[in-house]
Amino acid sequence: MARSGHRLNRVPLLRWLVIESTAIVVMALLWATQGRLAGYSALVGGLIFLVPNTWFAYQVYKVEGARNMSRMVGNLFRAESVKIALTAVFFAAVFNLMEPIHVPALLFTFAVMVVMGAALRWFMRPRPQR
Amino acid sequence: MEMVFIAAALIIGLGALGAGIGFGLLGGKLLESTARQPEMANQLQTKTFIMAGLLDAVPMIGVGIAMYLIFVVAG
Repeated sequence: MARSGHRLNRVPLLRWLVIESTAIVVMALLWATQGRLAGYSALVGGLIFLVPNTWFAYQVYKVEGARNMSRMVGNLFRAESVKIALTAVFFAAVFNLMEPIHVPALLFTFAVMVVMGAALRWFMRPRPQR
Repeated sequence: MEMVFIAAALIIGLGALGAGIGFGLLGGKLLESTARQPEMANQLQTKTFIMAGLLDAVPMIGVGIAMYLIFVVAG
């Protein structure tokens, strides 16, 4: 296992988090022009994306290197299952506990963040440490 | 009303099936490639991570829509 403090890849986790948070706030402000409820719902939709995805990225890069690849794949499968389960639980909680809710703002922000998150990880990918 | 639950079950079930097959192939290919070229492990891990993000985009949106169907449309 990679020793703590000695990483093989430089994972820009904090950068991703900052950029995604900024995008969520911008989307929420744009939706807020339709009303306060829409802005708030957009913010919640963005957070439903952000929390499970940050946890997923952290879990996948917990172990690195060729020797630990089978553990990394196990982590990947577990992290993906938990991510989908967390997303379902968050959506269920929001639809049950938040009344009223602006559904188009919630789902649109979530969908945009899913696509944007994938693109962000593509353009700002982890680099090997030299 | 029952049709809504069937629709939600289909969305989640087929999404999970697709993601499961995709992740199985992805993980298997990663292990295979790392066994062939261990020096490429870091780059392969990064590529797998990026592909995982693309792979689960549609099932994730499907989960959101299914929850909407279950808790708002049917509920």
